[in-house]
Amino acid sequence: MDLVIALALNGLVWGLIIALIALGLSIIFGLLDIINLAHGDFFMVGTVLTWFVLEATGNYWLAFLIVPLLGFLLGALVERSVIQPIRGMAALSIVATFGLSIIIQEVVRAGYGAAPKRILPPIEGTIPLFGIEYDYYRIFAAAVSVIAIFVFFAFLHRTKLGTWMRAVRFDRDTALAMGVPARTVYMVTFALGFSMAALGGAVAAPITTVDFQTGVDVLPFCFMAVIIGGLGNLPGTVAAAVLLAVTEGVVTSFTDPTVARIVSLCLMSAVLIARPHGLFTGATR
Amino acid sequence: MLEVRDLHASYGKVEVLQGVSLDVADGEIVGLLGRNGVGKTTTLKAIMGLVRASAGRATFDGVDLTGLAAHRVPAHGIGYVPQGRGIFPNLSVEENLFLGLRSEPSAQQRALIFDRFPQLQERLAQKGGTLSGGEQQQLAIARCLVMQPKLLILDEPTEGIMPILIREIRSEIRKINKTGVSILLVEQNLVTAFKICSVIYLMEKGAIVHRSSAADLKTQPDVIHRYLGMAA
Repeated sequence: MDLVIALALNGLVWGLIIALIALGLSIIFGLLDIINLAHGDFFMVGTVLTWFVLEATGNYWLAFLIVPLLGFLLGALVERSVIQPIRGMAALSIVATFGLSIIIQEVVRAGYGAAPKRILPPIEGTIPLFGIEYDYYRIFAAAVSVIAIFVFFAFLHRTKLGTWMRAVRFDRDTALAMGVPARTVYMVTFALGFSMAALGGAVAAPITTVDFQTGVDVLPFCFMAVIIGGLGNLPGTVAAAVLLAVTEGVVTSFTDPTVARIVSLCLMSAVLIARPHGLFTGATR
Repeated sequence: MLEVRDLHASYGKVEVLQGVSLDVADGEIVGLLGRNGVGKTTTLKAIMGLVRASAGRATFDGVDLTGLAAHRVPAHGIGYVPQGRGIFPNLSVEENLFLGLRSEPSAQQRALIFDRFPQLQERLAQKGGTLSGGEQQQLAIARCLVMQPKLLILDEPTEGIMPILIREIRSEIRKINKTGVSILLVEQNLVTAFKICSVIYLMEKGAIVHRSSAADLKTQPDVIHRYLGMAA
């Protein structure tokens, strides 16, 4: 039973981190119509940048400031150089972001190395939780993810830029005619998506391996969360990420992780058959 | 004020505008009429920079609009109410109203809108999509007036509006015009066009084919029938 609780809690923590990453994927898809196959690599870049910040400064906490900021700048650069020229061509976006994914992985392999590394949690110790001893750092990681998700929703609903993002997403032409700089909104959205994935990487770095291929595992999970939550449904994406991760965590306690992933894929297939617009949207088939 | 000269625009290989020329002078209400699909909405979109002009020019107070990014056009004093009103249903009435402002609206800007449209003030927190058709039209016009335009471009403002409210919208357009705002109006409702426009242009196959005062056009039923397919 202790194992089930531990893995369910791990699933919850991982689900909240995935929710943070998948929100970035969802806003990029919702606003730019970009199917971003490089999004997992944005997360990986976050973990690697965290490792570099730790190596350079010896201070893990600085990564929480520096990594999202660098992620934002890299996202703006990628949007202008790769995404902007193919905007409006959804099929091309798959090819372009697949190529981007390979480039990012090879650049990281060349600069960081091919050997996986580990970062020790900056907070050590455990706390009694539901009858088991649970890592402080994982609770901290969950809290940071929750705060970041709330800040993101507050940004979306309480700031002018967030309002512009929601307007451009619904009707670009009318937004332009009202004076909304849609190109800047696209750039900020993509950069924000990169930044959120990179922050997810900074949070997850001590509980995963820092490896140039880490993003390969994360990407399908993010896509499943976005699909089950409903394309473009941001609260649905968060709920689906947590649901999937907890389900995988609990299933893993009874069998191996591969079977748990198969269960997740079956869950997604069932949702697509019964509710093709997502589990958390009104429309059903 | 607004000068459109030999404007051409295409959707892919289809040339929708084939040399549109028209003028809107200071304080005028100008109507642009024609059958469905002749290029009226595309003309407005080309003026607003939403459709790229392949040739020709649209200038406003001497500024070449065809060379501007679309989002910079409103800052030159042009407000645009698109066909179907273009309300963002996922945004609140307040967010819709002040969308184009870079900073918080001033007390003067709020007063300007709420004196004219008091019912919008009562619905500020409501989602734009929950308003009635008439209220959405008011919101769409108010959203432009916040920017204090010199020219207001309206694309079929009475489309889908209950007949009883059409008179109110006509009256509102006249009132706005009396404050010194010029109006360029695309309209299917001939009665509305005759009642409020001083000059009317008729379009056919992507070009202007007739220009006259509204009073003159009323006396030419053959022209109206030929280009609009209806009786005056």
